[in-house]
Amino acid sequence: MRGPKAGATTGPTTDGPTTASGTVTARAGTQRVVQLGGGRARGPWLAVVVHPRPVLVCLVFLALAAVAALATLAVGELGISLAELPGVFAGHGTRAQEWALFTSRLPRLGVAVLAGAAFAVAGAIFQSVTRNPLGSPDVIGLGAGAAAGAAAAALVWPGFVSTPVGALLGAFLAITVVYLGTGRGFAAPHRMVVVGIAVGAMSLAFVQLALVRASRESAQEVALWLTGSLAARATGHVVVIGVALAVLLPAALALTRTMQLAEMGDDLATGVGVPVRASRTLAVVVAVLLTGAAVSVCGPIAFVALTAPQIARRLTRSSGPGMVAAACCGAVLLVVADLVAQYALPGIIFPVGVVTAGLGGIYLAFLLVREWKRVAV
Amino acid sequence: MSVAEMAGAGDVAVVVAPLAVEGLVMAYDGAPVIDGLDLAVPAGSFTVVVGPNGCGKSTLLRAFARTMRPRAGRVLLDGEPITGLRGKEVARRIALLPQSPIAPEAITVGDLVARGRYPHQGLLRQWSAQDARAVEAALAATETVELRDRLVSSLSGGQRQRVWLAMALAQDTELLLLDEPTTFLDIAHQYEMLGLCSRLHTQGRTLVAVLHDLNQAARFATHLVVMAEGAVVAQGPPSDIITAELVEAVFGLPARIIPDPVTGTPLVVPAVA
Repeated sequence: MRGPKAGATTGPTTDGPTTASGTVTARAGTQRVVQLGGGRARGPWLAVVVHPRPVLVCLVFLALAAVAALATLAVGELGISLAELPGVFAGHGTRAQEWALFTSRLPRLGVAVLAGAAFAVAGAIFQSVTRNPLGSPDVIGLGAGAAAGAAAAALVWPGFVSTPVGALLGAFLAITVVYLGTGRGFAAPHRMVVVGIAVGAMSLAFVQLALVRASRESAQEVALWLTGSLAARATGHVVVIGVALAVLLPAALALTRTMQLAEMGDDLATGVGVPVRASRTLAVVVAVLLTGAAVSVCGPIAFVALTAPQIARRLTRSSGPGMVAAACCGAVLLVVADLVAQYALPGIIFPVGVVTAGLGGIYLAFLLVREWKRVAV
Repeated sequence: MSVAEMAGAGDVAVVVAPLAVEGLVMAYDGAPVIDGLDLAVPAGSFTVVVGPNGCGKSTLLRAFARTMRPRAGRVLLDGEPITGLRGKEVARRIALLPQSPIAPEAITVGDLVARGRYPHQGLLRQWSAQDARAVEAALAATETVELRDRLVSSLSGGQRQRVWLAMALAQDTELLLLDEPTTFLDIAHQYEMLGLCSRLHTQGRTLVAVLHDLNQAARFATHLVVMAEGAVVAQGPPSDIITAELVEAVFGLPARIIPDPVTGTPLVVPAVA
């Protein structure tokens, strides 16, 4: 052993000033360690490993999100120029401008940012649990299950529960069927994907049945919701998804390290002391709740959960589910997709779910082709 | 006197075995693979478990490693039932090199080895000077220091296995379990790996390995456990227990036993042509 200094070619060593707060004081592999507080005897209370690249990627995502957010707020039938925007915020705009900003665009933006983040984190968790980029909630039947639950609540047995609660129940029912269907719970990643696809297909069949049997008006309303839309969101929607994220994102962050280890195989994870089954079940519950919350405020918007974590993972070149990067990426994707849905074709406004489904479908095809090639080789 | 205590009989006073099983019953779906096994790993030994396919040697290791729950019986760590201990607590005392771990995409050797420090870390205190020292020591012990910044995916099979071993060593445990550590290696790297294990043993660790090759087991083990049909048929120093009769009875292979010309340990030469 060459002592602790052997690895510190570019940074100070761990023997550095541990009393300082917020200092980067050690090097662990290619990563940096940020330490906070604590004396020399007890050590810092916080020592978190940080890779420089994901931090940079997150900053870029946030910058993009800021630009897209400004566009969402400023562009529209009732244009508010960037110069005017602060004034309208401060209450100096016209009544029409204030209505457009506070009642229409801000809630829409808030839901897009938060739901995008929620979908993406749920996707990151599921892709980690299934050890498969295809294992997102969209593909393994969670979105379809939520849709079926919503259809059941709104059309088949109206009046029992509200549509969003129906969606959450549907998502839990779908994941329960997946859990039972694999025969080995969540410990069989490949079976989860296969069973999930079957559960998704059955859920969609149920949705079709419900739509066919329903009256035209209510069917149309539900059909729009099932596509996923950010139109006419209210502040209440922002609060729902905001509270859900505030609780569930820290939970997802706390589970990140155990999930990283579980990705390396159940035996190895058990060997280093991870309670694999318990933490995996907990992670799935967090992901289902995130998906349920997001679906309840904007419908099952397709493929954000599939694409955002993978884009984040490629860009950060990270070797595990990066929750923060995935969340930032999901927020950017949904805000940008919403802009495209509103303004790409003049005079035609799509539901945002159509745009994400179109773009995500292309990505899904790419993934499938790659998987086939890998199997064929 | 329990099995755990017996292992130390003959040493000074009564030494509790670092790892033992009592009345162990292990079963998959159907009939038990191991049915009522008692076994103690001697402290400071390089214990190697051998036996024909399906004899339960890997299943025994799974019981030690907690990767499979016994249907009945107990696994004892320093005399304490392992089920009463927290996962991280056990992982600070036993490390496992599993048979086919999955390397994450785009991970460097240094980062992979650092993950072995998990049981020593907390939710908020994820890195310490002690972690850095243990990772350095693990890289040095496995001669992988110069691979630190390489991607694991770019390594050869032999290098990769040494890196996985380094991750287990970073756990800084007294006990090390190895599940067929030579399976995917060519013959030169098999001996490199076993030589490495032997050095770790000499430095004071207790090792328990499952091996396929009887001659490699005889050469490197200080305590050999021969299993057949879920039971221990013989155990002790290889030179004391390996006989032609045993090999014939356990493996169904007529053989002659000669001293290994290099090490003097028993060498099994199949008497079939």
